[in-house]
Amino acid sequence: MWRLALLFSGAQLLAAELAEEALRILERNCLSCHSRQLALSGLDLSSREGALKGGTRGAAVRPGDVHSLLLQAVRQESKLAMPPGKKLPSDEIETLRRWVESGALWPRQNSAPGQPVWWSFRKVVRPAVPQSANPWVRNAIDAFVLAKLTEKGLKPSSPADGATLVRRLYFDLLGLPPTREQIDEYLRDQRPDAWERLVDKLLSSPHYGEKWGRHWLDLVRYADTAGFELDPYIADAWRYRDYVIASFNADKPYDRFIREQLAGDEFWPEDPESVMGTGFFCVGPNRDYYPDQADINRVETLTDYTDTTGSVFMGLTLGCARCHDHKYDPIPQRDYYRLQAIFAPAVKTRIALNRLGSLGYDVAANSREIKLQNIGEEIGAIQHRCRSKIYAQKMSLLRPEVQQALQTEDEKRTPAQKALATENAAKVAVSDAEIRACLTPEESERLRAIEVRLVSLFASYRPKPFACGVNDVGNHAPPTFMPVRGELLGVRVEPGFLTVLGGGEVGPGVDHREATGPIPLGPTTYRRKSLAEWITQPDHPLTARVMVNRIWHYHFGRGIVSTTSDFGSKGALPTHPELLDWLASEFVARKWSVKEMHRLILTSATWKQSSQITAEHRQKDPQNQWLSRFSRRRLSAEELRDSVLFATGNLNRKAGGRPVVTPLSKEETFGMIGRMEDSWIVHFDPSEYRRRSIYLMQKRTFRLPMLEVYDAPESMLSCPRRDSSTTAPQALTMLNGAFVMEQGARFARQLVSLEQTEAIRRAWRSILLREPQADELANARQFLVRQLETTGNDEAALVELVRGLLNSNEFLYVD
Amino acid sequence: MSTKRLPRRFDSRREFLLRTGMGFGALAATSLLEAAKPLAPRPPHSRPAAKAVIYLFMHGGVSHVDTFDPKPELARLHGQTLPPSYAKGLKTSRIDFTKAIIRGSPWKFSRYGRGGIEISELFPHLAQHADDFVLIRSCHGDAFDHAPAMYLWSCGSQLPGRPSLGAWVVYGLGSENQNLPAFVVMSDGAMKCGPQGYGAGYLPAIYQGTVFRAGEAPVLNLSNPPGVSSATQRATLDFIHQLNRKHLEARPWDDELEARLESYELAFRMQSEAPEAVDLSKETEATRKLYGIGEPHTDDFGRKCLLARRLVERGVRFVQLYSGTHLGDDWDGAHNDLLGSHTKMAAKSDKPIHGLLTDLKNRGLLDETLVVWASEFGRTPLAEGPNGRDHHPYAFSMWMAGAGIEGGRVYGSTDEFGLRPVEKPVTNFDVNATILRLLGLDHQRLTYYFQGRDMRLTDVHGENEFTHFLLPHRQVAEAKPHA
Repeated sequence: MWRLALLFSGAQLLAAELAEEALRILERNCLSCHSRQLALSGLDLSSREGALKGGTRGAAVRPGDVHSLLLQAVRQESKLAMPPGKKLPSDEIETLRRWVESGALWPRQNSAPGQPVWWSFRKVVRPAVPQSANPWVRNAIDAFVLAKLTEKGLKPSSPADGATLVRRLYFDLLGLPPTREQIDEYLRDQRPDAWERLVDKLLSSPHYGEKWGRHWLDLVRYADTAGFELDPYIADAWRYRDYVIASFNADKPYDRFIREQLAGDEFWPEDPESVMGTGFFCVGPNRDYYPDQADINRVETLTDYTDTTGSVFMGLTLGCARCHDHKYDPIPQRDYYRLQAIFAPAVKTRIALNRLGSLGYDVAANSREIKLQNIGEEIGAIQHRCRSKIYAQKMSLLRPEVQQALQTEDEKRTPAQKALATENAAKVAVSDAEIRACLTPEESERLRAIEVRLVSLFASYRPKPFACGVNDVGNHAPPTFMPVRGELLGVRVEPGFLTVLGGGEVGPGVDHREATGPIPLGPTTYRRKSLAEWITQPDHPLTARVMVNRIWHYHFGRGIVSTTSDFGSKGALPTHPELLDWLASEFVARKWSVKEMHRLILTSATWKQSSQITAEHRQKDPQNQWLSRFSRRRLSAEELRDSVLFATGNLNRKAGGRPVVTPLSKEETFGMIGRMEDSWIVHFDPSEYRRRSIYLMQKRTFRLPMLEVYDAPESMLSCPRRDSSTTAPQALTMLNGAFVMEQGARFARQLVSLEQTEAIRRAWRSILLREPQADELANARQFLVRQLETTGNDEAALVELVRGLLNSNEFLYVD
Repeated sequence: MSTKRLPRRFDSRREFLLRTGMGFGALAATSLLEAAKPLAPRPPHSRPAAKAVIYLFMHGGVSHVDTFDPKPELARLHGQTLPPSYAKGLKTSRIDFTKAIIRGSPWKFSRYGRGGIEISELFPHLAQHADDFVLIRSCHGDAFDHAPAMYLWSCGSQLPGRPSLGAWVVYGLGSENQNLPAFVVMSDGAMKCGPQGYGAGYLPAIYQGTVFRAGEAPVLNLSNPPGVSSATQRATLDFIHQLNRKHLEARPWDDELEARLESYELAFRMQSEAPEAVDLSKETEATRKLYGIGEPHTDDFGRKCLLARRLVERGVRFVQLYSGTHLGDDWDGAHNDLLGSHTKMAAKSDKPIHGLLTDLKNRGLLDETLVVWASEFGRTPLAEGPNGRDHHPYAFSMWMAGAGIEGGRVYGSTDEFGLRPVEKPVTNFDVNATILRLLGLDHQRLTYYFQGRDMRLTDVHGENEFTHFLLPHRQVAEAKPHA
């Protein structure tokens, strides 16, 4: 629509709209085969010239002629029936008929020849910034936004007050609230660039990467375990998590970030920090551990790689093209397999973070293993005397047939013996305590000596210097086949890029690596490197657009394209197309710096608007798609948990490291897969339980109940945007959950020594970041009196006050 | 630009309405506050045969040839190998179909009911209901490990992350009781599918199954925190309400803030209603006995079945019960002990299910409740080791009762060894499309926009002959399948 408005006006609009609709029908149904790039049967329907010229059967469209070949084909009157395998709905056929009859107008004729039809597949052309004399406009963003607001008969909202902006900024960049003191510090700062200074200060905080890294982890379906019925740990997945956080903190240029994740091993094989990016391929769901299913698993893995890559970096829903040509986007099935072929030689591997140390080989672990085996046997030998003695005693107390059942090998037991054995197994079990009581002093001493050896063996035990990642099996890739009509071995496909985006083949992998260190670097195909280079071309139509749109989405709660991982024709159109393209070109010009984009957005008047909704907003911009205000938002699951810790003074700010497992009640872990002692290994140090949520164990089959009810993603598929639901279980969690009570109680213990008014003020300042108003103070006093009656003590009453404030909307929502 | 292209541009709750495919009409007609009640009852697409579902899931894999699909050929050829043509193309993790020997069933089968349906002696109580259910002998799939098979049958894909049947149903219909969860799950504990077997996938989290724990507080965080009296709790709730009311007054036109105020009242009501719903002491001794409550083998599953009836009675939409776990007793014990595992597991569930069907019937609830009995796969007609059977996804049995379904009939059949369906094969898609249809939902219209597609439980598959076989006669005229 926006494009049309530039080209047409008044009476022409109707015809143009018809044409636009007709072209869209062609685009959706015909272009995947009949475009300039593929032109099956010689037919190219992507331009008017192509349609008039036609293919091997002659002209497809004869303007004005309702018997044009194209119309015959879609009506499916004869053997020529298109599209294959389905028929267009009658209203679409009718649209095409009217369009041809009225002259087959082609309103996109001024697009460069060979340019794709769909907007997001065309290269970014930097638009001119609208001129505006309005003093509201602070930067180019505002100029674009204001132009659109004016067009829609809307005005921007007044700016939010300073305290609101500071809180909003802290949550936006750090995912944590400020303290009241930090707010005051800003309000006191009279320097003209006080705001810019605050933005810079927060961008350089280590907590920034924890907030923005979390967005990225959602996209790459990160978890610490693999999922399915054993849900095993993915060794060293957390190294990738820390790599993502560090990358955001360092403001790693986005093109470099992509290259490291797709092919760090091929670009910079000797730099473990870069190679760690390939953990991207390892942190998704997988069933690598299933026996006898390597073939199926491989297919699923390659599908996951292809779909996730398309979705995360290019905002494309490639999944549809796995089984057939994409129905909506010009992505033929062949392209899907060309892309998949790029990953065909990639296999998971362990990345040695300290390459010079040990050739990727953990010598210490190796000898420790031998020592442990030795110790295990020794313990068995020491205990043998007592164990067999006690066992014999217990056995002698049982009936003879039970004894016989127990002593028969399992395989040889009769069904009756089986039942007896199961029933009585516990009666002959020998416990550690029983053995301990029976040991001679000399035997006990030998065991104690072993304990000493064990402790020294593990005294310096730490996570090993490895990360997870991929590399190629060699410089020859296994062939990739595109299935044809359900046959597993179909047509062989060579690696390449998406045709609609210019296509191109991946050249044969010439391996020019040389062994430069003590470690010979393995040969590789360089396919993923080619892909990364192709995706990170500065003029790739999607890469920059998709990323700036994601950044915009995370700042404003909604993207300029609201379907942030679908830039195809089934996705939403951009509300501000020129702004999107301006941001995309700016992103590339500013060397793909994500922090630069934050600075642009956060210093705009658009972002600083108040979140108040007015009757006019409600009527003209109910969804706030035109940005007539700032969208109030609920805290995300992690922000909420982290804020409770922060506000009550309990947050442990430690960064990085292996994932933390917190203790949960039996009710909470009900239904968890596997044995608790293996699945939920609670950290020994309670201070770890109060760390930021991003560092908690993310089990793929079990979300922390508190995070789950607040819409934390399932981490099975890439999650480009979270739900923001409002439910009764959320209320129950905040109201009755042990977490809130525990943090509230810790906080109340500090408040109890204060005079009552001071305690109330302190609670208000810590949780709501402001002083209580007079009526609030009076109400709180009354409340404490009431709760002193019901609970009988001051501390319990204060816990209630804190619990109440933590449950308030003021705490949960960002204005 | 046609209006058809528009509805893809809304966020959070507002977008929800549109993602549901209800479109602008619904948006205009429904206040945004209504949209904030994702479990409010919603009208079905067509007249429903049932209002609620009780899904009895036998965890671990029930051997079809030992329960509902008798194969005398197995006994006759016991100890021999299969003819090579039969073995071709079949694969599981643990046995080789060309080498493993045929194992006859250790159980006897008899005919029951008007239709003379053959059922083994493992289910003496359940067999009395042969006239109440349709037995489907031709289920088949290709997932031969537990979790993928459970995901396939519950969620329509071997990979987790898709919404489960129960989630789709409450997404489509909402719930008739706002004070209880709409989709309740009761299991024996750790299951091989984990929570994703009853998850909401890409649907909003509110649609996932809520696990009911044993005891007085079935829902997580339902009880006041330890040491907090109801007077204290009420005072704090009032305090919260006061804070939020004031906050809202300064922020007009925000439905979401208002919805959150309401969620606290709902939570409060749930705190009183849920414990009542799970209080089995309200039931008569006769009813408790009917379910086998108080007897050692049947007490646990009997309680679950009785609870299921109480929940359905109170308007809960979907109740999923699992019998068996990842760690303890399980039908999957059949790997090395067919006799022991199946004897034990059948004894645990046979009488309780009999009690459930009888009780529902006596109370007139069976007609409006669909009861489904299923397992993730069957077991190999061939032997695994000296005493077992392996997983067999290529043919197995399930049954459905209630919802006005005319019972006493059998659908589909398998070959003489029970290896593959030979007649009217039924897939997970057929079953799920049919369950939705019985609830008045059109599986093609029950969609949710995700990753560039209007996703649905049945993917690209549809209703078929099977649906029509099951559909009560009064419904046939109304159902207009698109296929």
